[in-house]
Amino acid sequence: MNVFKYISNWFTAFGRAFRSELKTVVHDPGVLLFFFALPLAYPVVYTLIYNPEVVREIPIAVVDDSRTPQSRELVQKADASPSILLYDYAADMPEARNLMAEGKVFGIMTIPSDYAKSLARGETAHVEFYSDMSLLLRYRAFMSALTDLQLDVIGDVTSDKVGNLGAASLAVGGMPVKSESNFLGDTEQGFASFVIPGIVILILQQSMLLGITLIGGTRREKFRFSAPDNSSATARVWGRAMCYVLLYVPMAIYVLRYIPEMFNLPHYGAAKDYLLFIFPMLLGTAFLGQALNLFMKERESAFIIIVFTSVVFLFLSGLTWPRYAMNQVWTWVGNCVPAVWGVEGFIRINSNAASLAESAEPFKAMWILSAIYMLAAIWVTKYLDLRHSRVASSHNGRN
Amino acid sequence: MANTGFIDTARRQIRLMCSRKMYLFGMILVPIFVAVFFLDLLWPGLPLNVPTAVVDLDHSEMSRQVTRSLNATELLDVKVEVESYDQALEKVRTGEVFGFFVIPANFQRDALAGNSPTLEYYSNMTYFVPGTLAFKGFKSVAVATAGGVIQNVLSSMGVAPQASEALIKPLDLGINAIGNPWMNYSYYLTPSFSMATFALMVMLMTVFTITIEIKHDTSRQWLATAHDNIWVALAGKLLPMTVIFSAVGLFILWLLFGWRHFPMNGSLGAVVAATLLMVPAYQMFAVFICSVLPNPRLAFSICSLFGILSFSFTGFSFPVEDMYGALAVFSYLAPVRYWLLIYFNEALNGYPLFFSRYYFVALILFSLFGGILVARLKRACLKPVYVP
Repeated sequence: MNVFKYISNWFTAFGRAFRSELKTVVHDPGVLLFFFALPLAYPVVYTLIYNPEVVREIPIAVVDDSRTPQSRELVQKADASPSILLYDYAADMPEARNLMAEGKVFGIMTIPSDYAKSLARGETAHVEFYSDMSLLLRYRAFMSALTDLQLDVIGDVTSDKVGNLGAASLAVGGMPVKSESNFLGDTEQGFASFVIPGIVILILQQSMLLGITLIGGTRREKFRFSAPDNSSATARVWGRAMCYVLLYVPMAIYVLRYIPEMFNLPHYGAAKDYLLFIFPMLLGTAFLGQALNLFMKERESAFIIIVFTSVVFLFLSGLTWPRYAMNQVWTWVGNCVPAVWGVEGFIRINSNAASLAESAEPFKAMWILSAIYMLAAIWVTKYLDLRHSRVASSHNGRN
Repeated sequence: MANTGFIDTARRQIRLMCSRKMYLFGMILVPIFVAVFFLDLLWPGLPLNVPTAVVDLDHSEMSRQVTRSLNATELLDVKVEVESYDQALEKVRTGEVFGFFVIPANFQRDALAGNSPTLEYYSNMTYFVPGTLAFKGFKSVAVATAGGVIQNVLSSMGVAPQASEALIKPLDLGINAIGNPWMNYSYYLTPSFSMATFALMVMLMTVFTITIEIKHDTSRQWLATAHDNIWVALAGKLLPMTVIFSAVGLFILWLLFGWRHFPMNGSLGAVVAATLLMVPAYQMFAVFICSVLPNPRLAFSICSLFGILSFSFTGFSFPVEDMYGALAVFSYLAPVRYWLLIYFNEALNGYPLFFSRYYFVALILFSLFGGILVARLKRACLKPVYVP
């Protein structure tokens, strides 16, 4: 067979696979649900869940054994902080603990009886705060509010006293060295702003994997006894992959461009950067899904095998738990998942305004994964063809 | 005992489970793998030594001291020293560091002359946990630096160290973290995510085992084995799975509390009971979904969507109290939320069982009411229609 004939055959098979896959997708409501409804709806639902962004006005109880104007002033200052709300004074610690156990307060402040005296004498006054630890987010809010409160009080008291001592030069503006904190990326420190840019990438990968494996499982069941397809496996793998990628282009634009805009999330990256960036992830996922079809004996397998991996991939991506703190094994498992690189790169482009060049490492990694999974998908397709023809021939032999 | 067909149904189910590797995979391997995954990944519980950068524009004795203090904090790991803000920002963008600390030019001179120079620090909050830890480390070093300068000046004026200490820190606000003074993230994430994955698999495998009968047109045979009584049919089918799931659930608890010594300040029995109640709660939840939508595609889709969303709206990381009301409602529909509340109350807070009473009631209610529509499931089993 000459080369031209081969090439034209290849493209015919490619075109046929592309068209027939498109038809399969459109006629399978389950696949439509995963390919379209899921990427359309999930980002909205997730953003709505986290959209209140920050935890505010967390109720606390105060056990004030000092009962002085100074201690009341401290409590007022705490109450004035946006994170803290004074729920009530409690007579003693057991009463306050009870309020906490009932879920009415999440923090307890105890002011000792010598609080005002210590301040007046120029000694260090000790105030204790007990935080409920059921959620770290609340602890974190308390932590930053109380540190500010402490610095506030210290600023007042110290600058007065140091000034009185005659070290006037130190007292200008309260402190000899000022400090200024700046937040990059998610400047409001909102929860949705931090978590959504990562989650949308995972939604793209996982919904595509579910759709592809659903098709794969169904195909194995439905055509178990039909005649084997003799066209080039490579052409079929590419035809199907192109079909998935093409369908996901509008989804990716919606999810990456419009979701952050709609909900006012951090959105600093250039569209050409993140859309170019995401292409190898879509391609890699389209091949990975076809490779995973090895395990899809029937349609329902997809749910049991794919759904739980979303949680594992979410954590491997380093969104919640940074990748530098993972051990070698999990770093390498993570390296094999296109979305892990996708999350890392997209977050930097989207939230830190990195350019495509600055995201070169994840970009390259996703291309390498695409190549590897392409080979795997071709091998799996050939292997399944072989098994299929064996099953089909033994079946026909029996008839 | 009268022959109700229960024994035969259970025997049939056990044969079914042994014939497919999918049962072994979904019921045992996945839940245990995920629990071990979280235990190992999140070890030792706090991602210390956040990679950071320093921009030292002063190059003085004092600025080098600040850099040393930054490195001395266990929270931070100063990976690089760069010469400008732009260089540091680029390191953030490529992901090499999670924040940087800027020491301005003439820092030492200005500080000693009373010109109040400003230390600036930048934390990358696009990654919440390392961003927060970097912020904490930067802030403590900035505050300590200011304190150090005052102390130096005061001691040169002849003020006793103890008095100057009180001057610098007139108020000591100690923050105590009840039940988790180590700030161990794993104590939150591992139990909640392992159990929610376990719950997801209980749901999916229950849907699988029920709808597969409809799909393969064996549902009539299944009912016939149970003498056409849907309750017996379900009991015979689900109880063998309840036993396996309970064993898996208890094994996960052993991994947490036995193997990795998670804190247990209250009653372990309560957490065990919650786990044993959660299994039938999710099985009956799945039965309910299968009764309403007796076809594999819809039942699987609903359970997957619900199971995955549970990870978010049960408030593992963002409090339900602060969510929009319409979404917060869903969190009460997920049994795993009650399990989690019991875990917090018992393991971390050590509250008396009294405070968890409603959570146990909620878990029991799921098991009691999940079966209200089984008559519908029976009709579907008698006239199986497989819609792919």
